[in-house]
Amino acid sequence: MADALAIHADDLRKNYEGTEALRGLTLQVPPGSLFGFLGRNGAGKTTTIKILLGIARATSGRARVLGVAPDGPEAVELRRRLAFVSEDKELYDYMTVEEMIRFTSPFFPKWRTDVEQQYRRQFDLPADRKVKALSRGMRTKLALLLALCRGAELLILDEPTSGLDPAATEEMLQALVGHVAAGETTVFFSSHQIAEVEQIADRVAIIDRGVVVVAGALDDLRESYKRIQLVFDGEAPAVAFRAPGVRRVRRRGRVLTLLASDGADLPLAEARALNPVSVDVLPVSLKDIFLDTVTTED
Amino acid sequence: MLWYKAWLETRWRFFIGLAVLICSAAGAVLTYPKVLSLLPLVPTVDVGGELGRRVREAVELSREYRGYIWLQAFRQNLAQTGTLFAVLLGTGGLVSGTSSLFTLSLPVSRERLVGVRAATGLWEWLLLALVPSLVIPLLSPAIGQHYDVVAALVHGLCLFVAGATFFSLAVLLSTMFADPWRPSLLALFVAIALGVAEQISRVTASHGLFAVMSGEAFFRAGQVPWVGLLLSAAASAAMLYGAAFNLANRDF
Repeated sequence: MADALAIHADDLRKNYEGTEALRGLTLQVPPGSLFGFLGRNGAGKTTTIKILLGIARATSGRARVLGVAPDGPEAVELRRRLAFVSEDKELYDYMTVEEMIRFTSPFFPKWRTDVEQQYRRQFDLPADRKVKALSRGMRTKLALLLALCRGAELLILDEPTSGLDPAATEEMLQALVGHVAAGETTVFFSSHQIAEVEQIADRVAIIDRGVVVVAGALDDLRESYKRIQLVFDGEAPAVAFRAPGVRRVRRRGRVLTLLASDGADLPLAEARALNPVSVDVLPVSLKDIFLDTVTTED
Repeated sequence: MLWYKAWLETRWRFFIGLAVLICSAAGAVLTYPKVLSLLPLVPTVDVGGELGRRVREAVELSREYRGYIWLQAFRQNLAQTGTLFAVLLGTGGLVSGTSSLFTLSLPVSRERLVGVRAATGLWEWLLLALVPSLVIPLLSPAIGQHYDVVAALVHGLCLFVAGATFFSLAVLLSTMFADPWRPSLLALFVAIALGVAEQISRVTASHGLFAVMSGEAFFRAGQVPWVGLLLSAAASAAMLYGAAFNLANRDF
């Protein structure tokens, strides 16, 4: 099972000089998925990605990427099957766009010249301009081109739309979706932008303080998470719900709102016993799930 | 393509170093007639102690063109300025700066990254050591003098092999610090400390790294300083191995 996964991380821990960046992170990314890795700034997203790429080593735990240990003897061959775009779109400032492409392509035997030509046209990249003279948007497009052309089985992107304006963000997301639709590539991308994850991801994991707190298919999460709103005649009662999956209870005047993560049936039965005037079961967005699962205290 | 990257990253340091060292070697040659004309004035300078001894030694050596070139070019200009550029060639470009994650995500082992970077730098340092050395015999006829090409090559190779120690130290330090400044400053500090130690100690003065760099044994006795060269090469190899080990085991 583990080898069939594009990414399989099991109980990853990472300490940086006394700071626990990862605290037992477990993650499974099926092949062919467009996987959103959501978390607040500093939640451990970049550390996870660095471990998956073999750029950093886990203090303990086990990671497999395309069935291979990213810091093991096959790491170099593994990186030939991967593409990575870092948050800062790190490229060589002293090279031109053309030089960057000519530099990168020989490392990847499956380099897609057709895809290169397609994105050169689509992104309108100035071939003879130095990377240091590119705008943030252009630099991102170049980084994405260099990743998409590798013929990689797995694309790992760290905050790919960071710093982009809405138009550039949309262009980048559409390029990603189009690329995945055209092939068998798995995309694993980190973000703290809920809207973009919701727009393109089919699976998500939410990381908070170094552990995955929610993971699954986006549709399944939407199905299992429900908001139950109860309205009472007078002041809403202060009750502790015993039904499994009740994650949050909020009282405001006559209204009591529950957030349930394992479907609405059992919490609903318990809620009805309180004799509310009305009961509504409402769908929840990924943002609600994110805000519910990510603790806010620092 | 890693070679191309390493070349792009170091080419300006290389070209500037080459220009400075060629000018330095050419300057030493072309000023010899002026130095010769000033030599009769030197006996009036009366300075005692170590400084006086050095001044008198410099005067004696300068009476002969071969001695003057060794003192001025190989022991001073090329050794000192060359050390600076050997250090500069060894720093930066490995995983410093803003592009380290891109480099590390390429399908290349970290040992190969160090190997290509070191080989490119050493090749450039070889040219920095040899070309200015060869400028001396080429330019000497312009002032009516002769300098042996083989001697220039031997001094150039001594400069290269011993100077590579500072290059390798800079490469090693570059794998320990993210910025290019601390490796440069630390390596230069070590070079200055060694230079000062050779100045104040008679033991290290003839067996130290700068003595090997200048080919002092070859100049004084016609003997290539094989032991010093081998020790320098061994130290360089150990430091480059250490750099590869450091990089391979470092977290980013």
